Amino acid sequence: MKRLAVPAGREAIRSLRAGDMVLLDGLITITAGLPTIQRLVECAGGTRELPLPLDGAALFHLGSYSQETPEGGLEILYMNPTTSTRFNPLMPGLIRHFGLSMVGGKGGLDAGCAEAMAEVGCVYLSFLGGGAELHTSAIREVVSVHWSDLVAHYRLVTLRVEGLGPLTVGIDAHGRSLYADLQDTAAARMPAILAGLAAARGGAGGP
Amino acid sequence: MPITYAAMKQATADLYSWSLRKVPDDTKLALARARDTESNPVAQRTLDIMLKSAIAAETSDRFVCSDSGVPVYSIALGTRITIDGDIKQAVVDGFSELVETIKPPLLKHVTNPLTNERGYHGKDMPLVTWDVIGGADYVDITCQPKALGSGRWAALEIFSFPSLARIEEYVMECVLKAGSQHCPPVIIGVGIGGSFGHCAKLAEAATMRPMGSRNADPTVAAMEERLLKATNLTGFGPMGTGGDTTALAVHVEYASGHGFTPVAVAFNCWINRRTRARLYDDGRVERVE
Repeated sequence: MKRLAVPAGREAIRSLRAGDMVLLDGLITITAGLPTIQRLVECAGGTRELPLPLDGAALFHLGSYSQETPEGGLEILYMNPTTSTRFNPLMPGLIRHFGLSMVGGKGGLDAGCAEAMAEVGCVYLSFLGGGAELHTSAIREVVSVHWSDLVAHYRLVTLRVEGLGPLTVGIDAHGRSLYADLQDTAAARMPAILAGLAAARGGAGGP
Repeated sequence: MPITYAAMKQATADLYSWSLRKVPDDTKLALARARDTESNPVAQRTLDIMLKSAIAAETSDRFVCSDSGVPVYSIALGTRITIDGDIKQAVVDGFSELVETIKPPLLKHVTNPLTNERGYHGKDMPLVTWDVIGGADYVDITCQPKALGSGRWAALEIFSFPSLARIEEYVMECVLKAGSQHCPPVIIGVGIGGSFGHCAKLAEAATMRPMGSRNADPTVAAMEERLLKATNLTGFGPMGTGGDTTALAVHVEYASGHGFTPVAVAFNCWINRRTRARLYDDGRVERVE
């Protein structure tokens, strides 16, 4: 398993292959909100001010519960991935504009995103859904929380993490996507799977 | 001693809170069994991390998933109970109090579908299905919070006099469509027959059955075994990044109907959140799951 400092250099990103597992150390920015991703699109389009630099950043679809501590600091009570495919139409523009080096969450992204990722040198990392306690234990520092007018899991949160993962490279920077491959494979297998079901019914159950 | 408003409020709130912190024992066992037979190294590793996550959440009394979903209950009233107070309102009030006091606090997932605004309260929330159990001296309550992996990929289609082949083909179409999205390995519930609403309830109820239990009807039991094998031949695997373990179980329920035959397919993500308790008419509370 590889251990990567984030933000990672393009060479390190391009050395990863779909199916590799990695641990991350460094700075990540997270949100689980569609309104947040829409705001980032506005930032990329110049109609809204970007609250923090995102060039070459690791931007993950993770939701978190952030709150102020009694001492006036910030803490994250828990974090966990959300379904990335919800953001499919908006991600290619963000990946290209900010030259994102890593994106991630769960469930993958579509072919349009994979194309943008290959252009800039970006990987998609699959987080364990239902992994809140493990993911949260990797947080070392809450660097910033922006857009606090939104519900907690929609906020744009930047964290310093140590040993975050293991995460699986679901889409690499060479255009290979486990999600697309598996969908194609399953579709190709379906006639044989249905024939197997028919055989198991032993002729019962009709055509 | 009757079933009281206070007992109902406490029990429903507790069941929701407990469901967020523990992967059911039968599910952990199924994950461990899947780990033993899984041939894909990434999938093996992913199943290991799932079990580690489940144990970490349980031992630290923290949430398994940050998406606590929305509270969904199936409540069946025994015909031999007596009731004191508005036990329907008790479920609503229990949730309202819980969101103010639960540690750690919940994220706001109750969504107004017309505005997409999210909060802790909303129309018809919690979502409750009421039923009756003949002869029982207890109220049976199951809580199954619903979020993306346990709700988003469910589907229903109505056929006319379908063959078993067509029904099974439709289930596989739903499996293919859900693909890598619902935090597999999942528990698949299938409802066949009845009416539109009844069929959907059958599918959801099927996901709540004990892991891998077989339908008493041998025709249906055989279908469950076939569909589980078929689903695991697709190759989506744990977290949808490849492997032999896409489903841990397929449970099928059916009801007679008219001949226009709905087929509903529901999924529950790998954490399979599900808690259950019985409130007895003599005041006892038994946590079943």
